[in-house]
Amino acid sequence: MAYVATRGGERAIEQSERLYRAELGPIDAGRVDEIRRALPWLIDRVMGEASLYEPDLAALALAQSGGDLYEAVLLLRAWRTTQPRLAIAETVTQDSLFTHRRISAAFKDIPGGQVLGPTLDYSHRLLATGVLEGRPFVPPAVEPAARPAPARQPSLAAWQKAAGLVADVPAVAVAPDDIPDLTREPLLFPAKRAHTLQSLARADTGGVLTLGYSAMRGYGNAHPTVNELRLAEAEVRVRHPRGTVFSAGRVKVSQAEVTTKGKSDKLELGFCATLGWNEVKVIAGATLDLNAPGAPKNSPVNEEFFLYHTEPVEASGFCIHFKLPHYVTFQSSLDALRDANAKKAAPAMPASQKQEEPA
Amino acid sequence: MTLASLTKPWEAFSYGFLDASAKREIRRKMLKAIAVPGCQMPYASREVPIARGWGTGGLQVTLTLIRPDTSVKVIDQGADDSVNAASIRRFLARVSGARETLDTLDATILQSRHRIPEEKLGPDQILVLQVPNPEPLRPVEPNMSVARQMHGDADYSRLWLTLYEQIVRSGRIMQGAAYPSLVNGRHVMTPSPIPRWDVPKLHMAQHLTFLSAGREKRLYAVPPFTRVEPLVFSDVPYKVEDHAGLTCHRSGVKGYFMNEIPQDDGTSAHELSDSHFGVKAIRRAEGEAVATGETWYQNGEFRP
Repeated sequence: MAYVATRGGERAIEQSERLYRAELGPIDAGRVDEIRRALPWLIDRVMGEASLYEPDLAALALAQSGGDLYEAVLLLRAWRTTQPRLAIAETVTQDSLFTHRRISAAFKDIPGGQVLGPTLDYSHRLLATGVLEGRPFVPPAVEPAARPAPARQPSLAAWQKAAGLVADVPAVAVAPDDIPDLTREPLLFPAKRAHTLQSLARADTGGVLTLGYSAMRGYGNAHPTVNELRLAEAEVRVRHPRGTVFSAGRVKVSQAEVTTKGKSDKLELGFCATLGWNEVKVIAGATLDLNAPGAPKNSPVNEEFFLYHTEPVEASGFCIHFKLPHYVTFQSSLDALRDANAKKAAPAMPASQKQEEPA
Repeated sequence: MTLASLTKPWEAFSYGFLDASAKREIRRKMLKAIAVPGCQMPYASREVPIARGWGTGGLQVTLTLIRPDTSVKVIDQGADDSVNAASIRRFLARVSGARETLDTLDATILQSRHRIPEEKLGPDQILVLQVPNPEPLRPVEPNMSVARQMHGDADYSRLWLTLYEQIVRSGRIMQGAAYPSLVNGRHVMTPSPIPRWDVPKLHMAQHLTFLSAGREKRLYAVPPFTRVEPLVFSDVPYKVEDHAGLTCHRSGVKGYFMNEIPQDDGTSAHELSDSHFGVKAIRRAEGEAVATGETWYQNGEFRP
């Protein structure tokens, strides 16, 4: 039989997957647990991009994908989308956050105080090579402050609004079921505010950084001043079917608010928040948000441009799809190219044979 | 009220993977798409367990249509045994219990990446085309909201202009696959990157075609007996790929769309792009009784 039977492809994909998984070895609960405990910042980043707050599942996704972040996010998203919606949590406000870290670059000190919290910002980036030589790195114990920072902090923007520096946009009451949900509706432009913020919250950290950085360097109009950056825990307060509102637990969240002097006589704000602690993403995301109003179409700070292009599952999927065979499409272009070249190579028709232009 | 009464017993996934709310939304958009042929309908486009850009749009439509008595065929670049086609077909069968088939005549749903089979499709068959880029205006207008307005105004002048410019520059229209086509005299669509050879197969066809782009979250349809007219100038006829005279070096069949296989001696051999059509031709030549359907092309000429 001259034609290859059609089962070859199926065997090949099965074996290639085995080859990949053989490299990773067996995955057990211990490995997942170790990943979750050892890499909290990575877990946070993955949970944010997956828009699914479940550290165990995030660790499992990382274990299963061997640390390929885009694969891990896709695993979680594909799982997430099949899950039922049991309840919609109550709105979280800034002053209700259990705050671990809260800084402002706009003022030396702010109401509620600057709370440095956990950060590597001022560490010297030296590799602890001793670990590889058998001397474990044991972090020195944290000394408690004489006066603990308050767990809850007011929002700086609230002070700015009271001082007339920021335009106060009155909050519109929206029923929980009416909050637009990006995962259940398509993203259309001009985007609903909820869609914009949801889209940024689940955006690719690297992608947001790239476009946000381009805006910071000058491909945007507004220079961001970090008004307020927070790492916090938010209570997930849901309503029991009997009517009682209760906290179903806390999730780590980060948020950044950046500001610039607008064209009006007020300060303008850009905002970004995400699940998990991810400072780079929220600062870059807030910078994009700050620059978006009135941005020219097709510029990196145009909302449609940055929201479409920072979607991690879509962007990475399309990028790797170019590995798929494209020989039909290619053949079609080749046909047009060869025909055009043949026409060029053919001797030009004598003038007498040329068709007269119809009148 | 108990938590158990609010939900149902845990299952790893719903029938056909997508949950009922996702299927309902897609069904609504599919009906809208049929009602306005060629018009792109935005949909939520849930994540599915394969990567975006690998057929997730087609997959969501197929998963919504599929039933246990479905007979499903999946093609990638014409071939059933292409790795991604095999992967999608296996997934569909796994989550739905549908029967897998390679034979165009036997399939009730055909999900395809960039080919329409050579054998004619009938009124009881549905073709689902995977679409990487649903926007025919993308080459002239990358911004989707602006393009949407242009569709609303039926403003396709810039598309016509690029086709004209190609004739001026290269002596012919250089568009390869994904030839922009006017559907039902109103909306220009991209027929997905099927070769020009396949576009006439959509015109006044007996079957229903869905085109779905998962990554771009748009789906559109060509209902049965709908006009699909490639954009051409009245004095420059539509030209399909020059494959009418090529012969498949494996099956000896002539007059269909071919894959080009470069040879060591600098020449090219050709083989049928529609792989199972080729398999059937070989089997028939070897004396097996194989049912082959009527084909859209006969002797390299399109015969509707």
